[in-house]
Amino acid sequence: MTRRTLAGCLSLIAWPLLGAAPVADIQAILAKPKVLCGRFDQTKQLAGLKNPLRSSGRFCVVADKGVLWRSLQPFAQTLRLTRDEIVQWQGERVTMRLDARQEPALRLVNSILFAALAGDLGQLEKHFDIDGVVRDGAWSVKLKARDTGVAKVIGAIALDGAAFVKNIAIDEANGDRTAIVFSAIQTGDQAINSDEAALF
Amino acid sequence: MKPRQWAPWVWAALVAVVLAHNGYLWWQQRLAPDTDILALLPAERRDPARQRALQQMIAAARQNLIVLIGAPDWDDARRAAAEYRKALAPYSELIDDSGTITDRRQNDWLESFKNHRLTLLTTADDRALRSQGRQFWLDDALAKLYGPFSGPRPLAWQDDPFGWFGNWLQQRAQETPVRPRNGVLSVSDGERHYVVLPLTLQVPAFALAGQQALMPVLEQARHAARQTVAKIEVIQAGIVLHAAAAAGQARQEMSIIGVGSLAGILLLIWLTFRSLKPITLVALSIAVGYLGALSISSLVFERIHLITLVFGASLIGVAQDYGIYFFCRRMGAKEKLDSWQLLRRILPALILTLVTTLIGYLGLVLTPFPGLRQMALFSASGLIFAWLTVVCWFPNLVQANSREPRGVTARWGMILTHWPRFTSEWRALGTVLAFVGLIGFGALRLTAQDDIRALQNSPQELIDDQLKVGKILDLATPAQFYLLRGTSADALLEREEQLKERLDVLIQRKEIAGYHAISNWVPSARLQRERRQAIEQVILSDEGALALLGKKIGADHNWLSAARARLLGAAAPQTIEEFFKSPASEPWRHLWLDQVGQEHASIVALRGVTRKSLPALRQAATGLKDVEWVDQVGDISSLLGDYRRYMGWVILVSYFIVYALLYPRYGRNSWRVLVPTALASLLALALLGMGGQGLQLFHLLALMLLLGIGVDYGIFMQEPDSQRDGAAWLAVGISALSTLLSFGLLGLSNTPALRAFGLTMTIGIGAAALIVPCFRVASSASPTVR
Repeated sequence: MTRRTLAGCLSLIAWPLLGAAPVADIQAILAKPKVLCGRFDQTKQLAGLKNPLRSSGRFCVVADKGVLWRSLQPFAQTLRLTRDEIVQWQGERVTMRLDARQEPALRLVNSILFAALAGDLGQLEKHFDIDGVVRDGAWSVKLKARDTGVAKVIGAIALDGAAFVKNIAIDEANGDRTAIVFSAIQTGDQAINSDEAALF
Repeated sequence: MKPRQWAPWVWAALVAVVLAHNGYLWWQQRLAPDTDILALLPAERRDPARQRALQQMIAAARQNLIVLIGAPDWDDARRAAAEYRKALAPYSELIDDSGTITDRRQNDWLESFKNHRLTLLTTADDRALRSQGRQFWLDDALAKLYGPFSGPRPLAWQDDPFGWFGNWLQQRAQETPVRPRNGVLSVSDGERHYVVLPLTLQVPAFALAGQQALMPVLEQARHAARQTVAKIEVIQAGIVLHAAAAAGQARQEMSIIGVGSLAGILLLIWLTFRSLKPITLVALSIAVGYLGALSISSLVFERIHLITLVFGASLIGVAQDYGIYFFCRRMGAKEKLDSWQLLRRILPALILTLVTTLIGYLGLVLTPFPGLRQMALFSASGLIFAWLTVVCWFPNLVQANSREPRGVTARWGMILTHWPRFTSEWRALGTVLAFVGLIGFGALRLTAQDDIRALQNSPQELIDDQLKVGKILDLATPAQFYLLRGTSADALLEREEQLKERLDVLIQRKEIAGYHAISNWVPSARLQRERRQAIEQVILSDEGALALLGKKIGADHNWLSAARARLLGAAAPQTIEEFFKSPASEPWRHLWLDQVGQEHASIVALRGVTRKSLPALRQAATGLKDVEWVDQVGDISSLLGDYRRYMGWVILVSYFIVYALLYPRYGRNSWRVLVPTALASLLALALLGMGGQGLQLFHLLALMLLLGIGVDYGIFMQEPDSQRDGAAWLAVGISALSTLLSFGLLGLSNTPALRAFGLTMTIGIGAAALIVPCFRVASSASPTVR
């Protein structure tokens, strides 16, 4: 199903409020901007393949609206995650559209996502066991889905950061691994450019 | 030898034969009436494969009970569902709960496709594979590889680099909105989250004992769910619920209507005759009639349909007239008149009443509809047996009795003297005009209603729940589907694929939401071969998309040969037998019919069918060999329409024949016999029209019966002496009252067919009895008989 990759995306956006063991502590550390954009660098290590696959691009999180994920290298590709759907473009062409109303799993992920954005830590804890540490204004957590079926597909997710999330690592059960590093974070209305804003 | 010496004995011998035959039927042959409504279809419309298809679709639904437990919050729904299931758990011998989804079940499910997943493609991927080159697939694979969201991926990337199997699984998953979630099945309608509990009955859905045990258990479980979450929504749907509701309703109505009419009739007979002997003897004549009808029908027809037996019960309405008439005339006759002499005197009238009724049924015997033929033969033979019982036995059994309250007939006769008579005066003309106006007014409002759904008699709440469950779960309609045939399983799969190409167009046009077919899961051998060839050429060849992809991501030669081997390893041919061994096939087995002889048959079921899409769906099957569109709702409805029209003609023609039969005896007064019934029938139709009742078969069945009974009244009143002693009028009164008490009360039933029948009978019999005296000849001129 779509859970693994979605959970990856979800954890990206869910980061501002991800509760760790001391959920309140992390919440206090995290900034909660309305708009947040930045650069990402993704490294995928696939089972059976020696060389890692690298890609990079920009991402934006807009509170109450959703998430934009724009790969620029080596491919231009845009993904938009909102409450009702997931749409992917390659240039002008829509290459994928999933309706959250048709896919309850998707809806679940989206609801977690928005709960996280809204600062509703209770929602997140419903679905994940959260285990983590806070030290000197920085934190790191490990998420484990409570549903065994979901956990089996998603595997383990780890996040760390301070005011913003810095790293996400996803270890899938089938051996594929993904690591994402965030940098050049900007916040506020100026952070999002007009092309990106137009996509919402 | 005189008839009075031999007739009773000959008849007794015949009745003994009938009794013996009935005993044989019930105990030796275990006479079980046919309940299959399809048995009523004209022979050319039936064929074995079609019947098996329908039975399989229905059987798949019959033992199932689907319960949805929903709340805006998923956790509330889960908690309530857990309580619901806990409450059901002790009753596993009644109902089986298979709603737990284990990891293992999910694994087994996937496992069964592992070795053939390469040729399992969605329609879109299949099309792209045929039309696009390797560059397309290279771009596609790279986009998936680098994108953050690569689409549904149940396998590691290297096992499904183009995402085909993931797409295919996604498409299969979209055949139903139900998803596993937290170890249970779930569905969401946008507002609420529901836990889906697929329950299986362990007792037959139509067995009364099982229903009675089950209903309280379900209620208890529902209560348990409510106790946990107050605002929980519990929706249940299943044939057993309808069956239980119908049984409960029938029981209740049987006690109210049955007891009411029995008590009413007993009281009526007692008040009239001060004796229960008449009712015993009339009941005897009806019983002999019923048993005789059973014997004859079972000799002529292979199986007797339940509807025949039910309609046969309406024999009482007509058959009682003979006995009642005899009693009334006996009471009205002088004591010194011997019963056999009396019989000789009233025999012509009795013969006429029988023959005029038989005419109508004869018309039905000639129809192409086995259902109507059976009812007609059953009724006609029943009437003859009842009639002969009256004629052969009653004269000996009913003697003149001085204790009888002879004043009754005289008093009834007095009523007649005050009754208005139809004359050709102006006043009468006014009445006629008013009547014509009324009938015209009503007739203009009369519409036909043949839709089988109008005959549905389940409580609205159950129907609503059923519809809601169907909508939330997006279930396929069980009554409308395609039936396909082929000489082999594989030929059948190919046929399904041809049909599906046309259906894909209809899905795009939003005529339907989707379809279920076995070929969704097992492509035909030809399609598997074609896909494998295309994949080997475009993807796996030395210059194919996979090789290009390997170069692009910097993989070495080892990776390429390993990846190729992995993909080819998943290209083993898939067979239908293998699929049916896997748990993934469980929900779909009913789509594949058991092989009969050389013929294989399967069903393609549809989701999201609306009334509007029916013509397009019918159209989609035309021109495809061995593909048949089955619309059970439409077929039965149009069958009911055919029956209704045919019945209408039979009634109309019957009136003319009855008139011809009456003429030799009543001459130019014959119209007086027939007109009251005709007027009563028209009045019934007019009132039905004004009441907004759509005219359906059961109204006409009642009008048919009304013709039989109403003409009896006309004949009684037209017979000589009938006015002087009031006996005939008494017979009409008692017969009409007891008919009203029996059939009229059916008008109170909640079963639409019975209500339609009862309502028509009430209006018709009431009106016929009241109108009949208006058309008697003037008392000064005694009626003449030729």
